[in-house]
This record gives sequence, structure tokens and C-alpha cells, in this order.
Amino acid sequence: MQSHPTHPKEGGPIDPPPGATPDGRRGLSRRNLLATLGVTAAGGALALVSFQEDAQAAMAPMAAKIKASAHAWCMVIDLRTCDGCKACTMACQQRHGLRQEQTWIDVYDMKDAAGETFYMPRPCMMCEDAPCMYICPVGANVRTDDGLVLVDVDACVGSRACMAACPYEARYFNWTDPLPSKRMPAPSTPQMPVPQKGTVGKCVFCADRLPQGELPACVSGCPMGVLYIGDLVTDIAVNGLGKNVVLSEFLRANDAVRFKEELGTNPRVYYILGHGQNLGGAA
Amino acid sequence: MSTEVMNTQAMTTNTMSINARQASLRPFGRPSRLWWVTVVGLGLVVLAGIAAWVLQLMGGMGVAGYSDQAFWAIYIADVVTFIGVSYGGAVVSAILRLTGATWRAPLTRLAEGTAVVTVLIGAALIIPHIGNPIRLYELVTRPNLSAPVFWDFVAVMTYTFASIVFFALPLVPDMAVLGQEHGPHLGRRRATLYGWVSRGWVGAPRQRRILAGALGLVSIMIIPLAVSVHSVLAWAFASTARPWWHESIWAPQFVVAALYSGVALVILVVAGFRRGYHLEGLITPRHFVRLGFILATLSATYIYLTFADLLPGAYVADRGTAAVFTELLTGRLAIWFWLFAVVGGLLPLLLVALPWTRNVGGMVTAAILVVPMMWLKRILMVVAPATYDTVTGVFGRYHFTWVPVAITLAATAAIPLLLMLLFRVVPLLSIEEIEEIEEMQELSDLEKAAATRPPTAPGEPGAHDDRLVGTTGKAHRVAGATGVLLLAALLGILGVSSPDHAEAATPHSGTLQSGTPSAPTVTLVGTEAGGLVQLTATLTSPQRRGLPNAQVAFLFTTTEFGTPGRLVPLGSATTDKTGIARLKYQPKVEGQQGFVASYAAGAAKPVTSSTTVNVTAARSAYQPAPGKPLASVGNVLVLALFAIVAAIWLTLVAQIWRVRRVCRVAVGVGTGKSGLSTL
Repeated sequence: MQSHPTHPKEGGPIDPPPGATPDGRRGLSRRNLLATLGVTAAGGALALVSFQEDAQAAMAPMAAKIKASAHAWCMVIDLRTCDGCKACTMACQQRHGLRQEQTWIDVYDMKDAAGETFYMPRPCMMCEDAPCMYICPVGANVRTDDGLVLVDVDACVGSRACMAACPYEARYFNWTDPLPSKRMPAPSTPQMPVPQKGTVGKCVFCADRLPQGELPACVSGCPMGVLYIGDLVTDIAVNGLGKNVVLSEFLRANDAVRFKEELGTNPRVYYILGHGQNLGGAA
Repeated sequence: MSTEVMNTQAMTTNTMSINARQASLRPFGRPSRLWWVTVVGLGLVVLAGIAAWVLQLMGGMGVAGYSDQAFWAIYIADVVTFIGVSYGGAVVSAILRLTGATWRAPLTRLAEGTAVVTVLIGAALIIPHIGNPIRLYELVTRPNLSAPVFWDFVAVMTYTFASIVFFALPLVPDMAVLGQEHGPHLGRRRATLYGWVSRGWVGAPRQRRILAGALGLVSIMIIPLAVSVHSVLAWAFASTARPWWHESIWAPQFVVAALYSGVALVILVVAGFRRGYHLEGLITPRHFVRLGFILATLSATYIYLTFADLLPGAYVADRGTAAVFTELLTGRLAIWFWLFAVVGGLLPLLLVALPWTRNVGGMVTAAILVVPMMWLKRILMVVAPATYDTVTGVFGRYHFTWVPVAITLAATAAIPLLLMLLFRVVPLLSIEEIEEIEEMQELSDLEKAAATRPPTAPGEPGAHDDRLVGTTGKAHRVAGATGVLLLAALLGILGVSSPDHAEAATPHSGTLQSGTPSAPTVTLVGTEAGGLVQLTATLTSPQRRGLPNAQVAFLFTTTEFGTPGRLVPLGSATTDKTGIARLKYQPKVEGQQGFVASYAAGAAKPVTSSTTVNVTAARSAYQPAPGKPLASVGNVLVLALFAIVAAIWLTLVAQIWRVRRVCRVAVGVGTGKSGLSTL
């Protein structure tokens, strides 16, 4: 085999291409690099412009979106009277066509400081700084003007990142085909979702009922009047037994607390203790 | 003189180069029976996995053993494992290239091929992990820019593209050499492909310099990209409030885990192809021992990081963390954890450390232990926190079914299958690199000889160093800086949350009622003044005198939670000497608002009076919690990240364009060198 001692520095066999610097290799490569960086900057700018709205929408503080609303739904749960009958769970499952293990409002058996059992219903906390809202890769969680965190099951990809992020374990997945529907077929909305295989579901506060002045299924189904649905704007709360209270006064007078307050999620569910229990959760 | 020697392309007199070319042609011949049996066997396993996935699509993810107690399990561990093992390509090829380790040459093509294949399989494993894979396009059409999973997607796509570029660029000279000089052995379709890829490549000095520059740039870029992929994967876990996931050490630990298992897989792939295609002449036991040393370093680092991960959490022992670590270290998962620690951590380290196992067999054994044990560790890292219920503190259960096992086996079988098919098409060895390094070694021998006499002409002392390392100065510093920027930006991807204590508004009132024994009347008047509703109730006895010291309850009507309107107690006030009780109320809603004053004397029927006030100035009782303090930083960060990602993609495309252009120029102008591929 032969060898070809070629050297391009003084204009060897390869001429510089049209438009390139004639002065050797380093200049050429640097120029290429500069051109690359120029194109890069332009591309970057394009990306900035096209995604700016998305970015701002994703990052805007939740508070700004919900400040001016006419309602701010919340729930008050009076643990003093809960006897753990799970009527709320059953009413919810019946209304939303859920399987038995899909407890959108779950009732936990908890132990208080003295070792006695108390019961703790747990709906979705409708956090104002909801971790699920931040973590969903496709933004399938929507926040209504009233501050409810709802799932758009027609957008959910089923990544279950929200299930990982929820500190309250309030989310349930449709691992198999949902139960056959017993009600009239209706289009699924975030307010009244129809369970769909491969998507996530959770408590919606019966958001379709609230504007009509109806109580959520769990609230009206609770025979003990444990659950209150409330409105932080109008400062009213009412339970299934028809007891009406001034919300802020009720919370203050009964030393209401929120579950896992330390996480900074600002949940919209308030608990009234009364057993001397510790509402710390497990993590 | 030195450059002349070095630029000589066709120095094929060396026996090793001929070996490299012949070895690269070996897989192109008629496949052996063993090859067919292996390919068909692996293909069947892959098909079984695809069938299992179809079943899962029909039946839902429940058939894979998933439940609300174990919402993430085997598939995400598979994703982490498979994308992790693709790091082997990055480390063997890019890092060794940048550090000028010349022994890498016969391994790079195999390592880079493994990287491409495994990252593609790893990305594909996201599909069974997702409950609704048909909607995956939404990651592009409606991304949530604050979601780590979205940035995962971006990082994996970018890394995959970079891996493919890194794999494809060095093919240009190799395909040119094989196409031009061994065309008849290639077969028609391969020859056409090679001719197209290497069109215009004549091995001119400028072409080789530009290729070396492009490769150097990509090998610098691929390291921060690889780091970013596994960091963002780790942050998909660490950005949740779950015990053990929510750890700052997770990102670096993931990166080291990926490097560790990646090097192990490279050892396995290299061993397999060395045996299958008889490459013992090119790939020597020394290669395995050197890879073994890298493996041992990473093993020690990973053991250290695992310890550093567990110690502080176990020491402080928050409820959740303590529960998970107890389960892991002494509980139900302990046997698996310690199996990993001994078989996947210490044993490989020992196999490298002990002189009598420091050989091909020992290194392959170590690698065989590492790869599945690192998968096991990922399973533990995923399943233990995922099954932990953060409300009750109880662990749920996760049991494999045959469906995810079949899919995992299929993904595993796909690695050798795709590699075997890939190296039926592209050359198995990096011929250019091997020949180049041989030339350099000859050159250095020549230079050593020349150093004994005074030089006759001023040489170019730096030139061959450039080639050795494969980089040229400034461009690469810029690329490096881009990588650092990318890292810095990714590190801050998630805002920091801080708890804000919202307080409910607390108006003051009481609802006690008492009365005096009589049947009085009450009149309620409401006026709005200064944003407040002033309620004045006048209590008159049957004798038409004001009733003092009586408790009058005030209420307002609402229809908010249903009609008819209901009364909400506002509080009560005591009447003064003239029988007047006053209460101020901060109205919450504008418009007509009904108020009621009620007086009940003992057991008598309460007397009431109602009025309506037209509220013009209401103030909501609701005070939204303040936003997260770093939310605005996140806003800037997203824009910066998009700019960086765009810059990376454009830089990568520019490298392909650079190499293509320098080839095109050669075609257009023509050179003194014949043999330009026109096959």
C-alpha cells in the first residue's frame, strides 16, 4: 500500500469551500463554531418565545389564579363524632362508580395517644400548593377557579407521578377495567369523571354538585354530621344534618388543624380533633 | 515529517489493522447455525414479552401485579436499569477518549453500540410503565414544564440523540475503508449503505481533523448529558415527599449506579462478541482487567454512596424513613438488600482485587453478578417507598406476575439480539481508531528514534496530541462550559417548597342564648356603613318598654348549599338599658343579604325579626396562601433549560453537518486520491 503525504496548509489538494475562511484549519473550525453558536442562540430564542406562555402558566403561583373567585370550597371534618361507619366511602363509591378498593374518601382506623382507636376520614385535601399539580408530566391536573384540584381523565397518561407525589395517598388508579356503569352514560368531565382504565382518579368534592347548592355525596351521606362542606369566601360551612356554621368562627373555636401542615401544601381540609390524638401521619 | 507519516491513511501493513478489518468483516459472512439459533431464541423471548404487553394493554396494569399500594414497581426499575447500563458506552468511549486511553480502541464500537441499543430499550420500557401509552404524545403537545417526568423525557431524548451521533460519526471513515477496499465482501445492500454514509470521505487530513474535532466535542457533551439523564430520573423520585425517595444524594447515586452497571454490561458484551467472532487477537485479557479496575472503582464508590444514603436517615429516624429503612435492612426486604450488598457490591470488588481472579473469567463473573444485582437494588429503591403508606405507615405488597417478568426478560434479550443484528450491518470494530492509535504508536517510536539526533526541520509537536485525545482546544472548552451550564441548570430544576402557615380569619362572636320570661317583640334594622353591616335589634316588652340585659342572637340567611335559605348563626349581643342590641358584621358577599335577629325567653317560642341589607362593599373571608418563594426562579430556569436543550441539539446536528460538509467538499473538488466510493 502506498502513502499519501498531503498537507493542506498551503492550499493542498483540498480547496476551502466557498464562504469558508481561506486561512487554514483552526480558523475554519472556529468560524463553524461561531456559526453554530449563532444558530443556537436563535434557536434558543425561538424556544423561549414559543414556550413562554406554557412556562408562565406552569409556574404562576396558585394563589394568583384563585384569589378573585366567588367561592373557595373547603371541607371540615369533625373527628369527635366520627364512628367509622364508612357511610361516606360507600356513598362516594356509589356515586362515582368506584371499585371497593378505590376509596376516594377513605376512613382510617387510627390510634390516639392513649392507644384508643379513632376514625379519620380522608378525602382529597385540595391543596392550594398541590404537589400533584406540579409533578404531572402532561398537566392533566386542573385547578378550578374555586380552588378544586381535579383530574382531566381524558388527558391523563397514567404515569402515576401524582400518586407518588401526594402526601395524603388520596389518589387511586384504574388498574383494570372500571365497573360497568349503572347510571346514564354521560361525557366525562373533570368535575364528574367517568373512571377510565389506565388513568388516575381521586375525590372531586362532587364539584358538579356544589354550584347547584347540593352537598357532596359523602357530606350528605354522613349520618353523624362529621363532614362539613364549606366556602372560605362566604365563610359558611354546612354538614349533612343541616347544621350551618360561620366557618372561620367554627374553625377557631374548635382549634381546627390541617393534616401534614408542615409540608406547606396548604390543604383545604380542616380537622377538628378532640380525642387528644396526634394527626401526624406516618411520614 | 511526523504529520506526513501520521496522515497516511492506508498503513495497513500492520498486522493488527488487518485483523481489525477482517474481524469487522467476519459478522458479514454467512451466519453460523449458532448465530441463527441464538437470534431465533432471543427473538422468541422478545415476542413473548410483546405478547405479555398486549395482554397488559387489554387487561390493564393490574395484571402486572400493580395496585394502589404499589403504584410504581418493576417497570420503572427496568427503565432506570436499562438507561443506566447505556452509560457503559459513555464511560468507555467518551471518558477514555478524553483521557487519551489508547487501549480503548477495540472496545469503543461495541461500547457505543451497547449504549445506543440499551438507551432505546430503556426508553421503550416507559411504554409498559405508563397506564395510557397511546397518550404519550401529550408530552410534546401539552407538557407540564414543572414536572420532572417531562424533563426526563427531554433528557432521555437528548441523550439518545447524542448517543446515536456519537455512534454514527466514527462509522464514516470505517465504512469508507471497508467500502473502498473490501467492497466485494460486503454484499450489495451493505455496500450501498456504506457508500452513502461515507460518500466523499477520502481520509484527507482536514477531514480527519474535523471528524476528530466533532467527535471530541460530542464526547465532551455526552458526559454531562449522561449525568443529566440519570439525575433527572432520580429527581422524578426525589421530588416527591416520600421517605427514602426524597433524598438529595439520589441523583449522584443514580449516576454512579448507572456507570457501575454500564461498565459491567460492556464487559459482558465485549466478552460475548470476543468469543462469538474470535476477537482474542484484538481484545486481550488486559482489556478485561482494565475494565475490571474501572468496575472496582465504581463498586467501591457505589458501596460508599449506599452507606452515605442510609446512615443519616437511619440515625435521625423520622417515622417514615425509619420504617422504610427497617423494612430494608432488617425487615421483609432485608434478605434482598444484603444479597445486593454482598453479591452486587463486595463480591465484584473482591473478584477484581484478588490477583488469582483478575482474569477474563473473573471479570466476566463480576459483571454477571453486577448487572442483575443492580437491577435488584433499583427494585428495592422503587418498591420499598412506593408500597409505604404515608398516612397509616403500613407497607402494601407487591408481587411479580409473569407479565412484567416476561417483559423484563424480553428487554434483556433485546440487548444481545439488537446488537447481533446491528453488527450484521455496521462494522464491529472502530477500524479508524485502531489504525490511528497504531500509527501514533509507530510515530512515537519514530520520534523516540529521531530524538537521538537533532531535528532537521521544525515539526508540529502539538499535532499528534490533539489526535490522541481527539479534541482541539477552544471549541471543546465552550462545549464543556455548555455541559456545566446544563448541569447547573438541571440541578435547580425543582423549586424548593417551604411551608406557609395560612390562618383562617377569626371574627369574634358567641352563640349562647338565654332569655327573660316574657313575650316581647324584636325589631331588626340593618345599615351598611364603612364596609360593615351594622345590625341593630330593638327588644321591646309587651309593655312597650325596652328590655335590658337580654341576649339577642343574630343570624344571616344563605342559599349557598341549597335552597330554601338556611340560617347561619352570627353571634349574639346583650341589650342595653333601652333594649337595643348591636352587632357589626363584615359582609362576605355583595348583593341582597338577609339577616335575622332572634330572641328566645326560656322555653318560650323565639321571637324573630328579619331584614334585608343591600351590601355594596363585601370582603372575601378567604386569604390565599402565599406562593412558593422560589417560584419565580423556576420561571427563569425553564426558559434557560429550553435554551440549553436547543443549544445541545443544534450543536449535535452541527457536528453531523460539519462532517458531511467536509466530505461534500472533497467530492466537489476531487482529490489526488482515487478509490472514492461509487459503489
